[in-house]
Amino acid sequence: MPSEELASLRASVERFARAEIRPAEIDREERIPTRVLSGLAEMGLFGISIPEEWGGAGLGLHGVCEMVATLARIDRSVATMVGLHLGLGTRGLVAFGSDELRAAFLPELAAGRKIAAFAATEAGAGSDLAAIATRAVEFEPGRLRVDGGKIYVTNGGIARVFTIAAATPGLRGAKRGHSLILLERGDRGLEASGEERKLGLRGSSTTSLHLDGVEVPIARVIGAPGHGMEQLAHVLSWGRTAMSAGCSGAAQAALAAAMEHTATRRQFGRPLAAFEVVREQLAQMAALAFAMEALVEQTCALEDSPEELASRSRAAKVFCSEGDWEICDLAVQLHGGAGFIEETGLPLLLRDARITRIFEGANDVLLVAHGASAGLRADLHVGPALAKAKAIADGLAAAVSRQAEELREWLGVRLVTQQRLLHRLGGLLVLRESADAAVLRAEADGTPGTSALAEHWAEIAWRRAAPLLEGPLPLDRIDLIASRAP
Amino acid sequence: MNLDERIIGMIAQLSAVRRAEIGPTDRLREDLGLDSVCSMELLSMLAEELDVDIALEEAMAVTTVGGAIEMVRQHLGARADAV
Repeated sequence: MPSEELASLRASVERFARAEIRPAEIDREERIPTRVLSGLAEMGLFGISIPEEWGGAGLGLHGVCEMVATLARIDRSVATMVGLHLGLGTRGLVAFGSDELRAAFLPELAAGRKIAAFAATEAGAGSDLAAIATRAVEFEPGRLRVDGGKIYVTNGGIARVFTIAAATPGLRGAKRGHSLILLERGDRGLEASGEERKLGLRGSSTTSLHLDGVEVPIARVIGAPGHGMEQLAHVLSWGRTAMSAGCSGAAQAALAAAMEHTATRRQFGRPLAAFEVVREQLAQMAALAFAMEALVEQTCALEDSPEELASRSRAAKVFCSEGDWEICDLAVQLHGGAGFIEETGLPLLLRDARITRIFEGANDVLLVAHGASAGLRADLHVGPALAKAKAIADGLAAAVSRQAEELREWLGVRLVTQQRLLHRLGGLLVLRESADAAVLRAEADGTPGTSALAEHWAEIAWRRAAPLLEGPLPLDRIDLIASRAP
Repeated sequence: MNLDERIIGMIAQLSAVRRAEIGPTDRLREDLGLDSVCSMELLSMLAEELDVDIALEEAMAVTTVGGAIEMVRQHLGARADAV
């Protein structure tokens, strides 16, 4: 889709969302009204990432992120529902499904007549997805039987199509243990139940999924049996990038609210924004929001490089969800008492932001994984693009590389089991990537405004990196305290 | 349990592939689905358990189950048969 058409679609979505979506009502009723779902379907939003031959618009990750960010500026529950459908919900089928499977399911999904969900988490398998206990066996030639249960299934109550992750050891000779399988509401033995009451994102449906002897043709396995974990990595890359875009959009809404409030609210005879401390916080929020948007853009640009996309989307997810929380929290703070009152919409922004630091990979787990990947790479050099970047970002990049190198030399292969060191290294890497992204975006833009934002963020990132370059506090003392904690 | 069996047992644990199906020619990544971090985790567990020092670069060059066993054997030297 040409960029003018994408801009036009984005404008239509924004117009519709501002006219029809009422966040307070969605939060109160804990559901997204049918008129909103129908309106979004009419605009073709549920099919934007589905190839044209199956009724979609064939947009890539950038297009998906634009739409999710646009919706998230207005309502996070709606953005989550759409983002999940376009990312985790349909991406596995689009990228790995057989033509027969795609032809059977994608047209209805593209039209929004069916909503998609994705079910991986289980009571005993959260971040540790390899521990999935839901099992699928070929009980007779060509027929699978699926047993198990899933929890925290986003879109669970409204979805008609579910991509589930299941253990399938030995299925069709595959050595590897997991597969993604497509199930449908109506498959005997499948039941979604128990809408969860949540801190935020209350309009977004979250249920459990019970799978009690669900029998389906083996053709419902997405792609080659046993390749579920690598498919999952790809699907999660899309999901995390789309979620980062949502964080970026919501943070911009919070920033806009803070800017407006501090410009109009007067104390001691002056607008709040006239106070130095307030301006400092506004600048911090603006620089952070700029870096978040830049990192999402640059993650989208890696769409065709699976390994780089997996790594950058992990960094973007951590950075944007933490940034979203920070900006929403500062927005509440700058609103004073009004920020605590539901009617102003600020508490909803904060409540909706909280889960993003947990779902699609808890941030601490992702930081350890990111640190481990970085720890294994000896090529954390300052790349050609960065050679032109600002000295601060270069300095940060060099410090992170040095730190990784020292740890590699010191610990050898044992580095990958040193969680606290990897967590710090992951944090450093995310800060470095955010500073790089901000600087590169400012370079591409070339205006003094963006240059100031990038410089400001690079300097904040550098200051935040300093404590991470310190060694961790003594583990024996931590263990002693933690074991005695009430 | 000899050294080979111990190593294969650890691989089975990390990869969720059945122990009986794992052989020395299996590639850690392509056949068993262990990503680079997971492979390093395996070798790190071995280094810890068998008290050997393995450099990261050396570990990263290992691509098969047999390669992992051989590398550990070399590090253990005479101790290998006693493990």
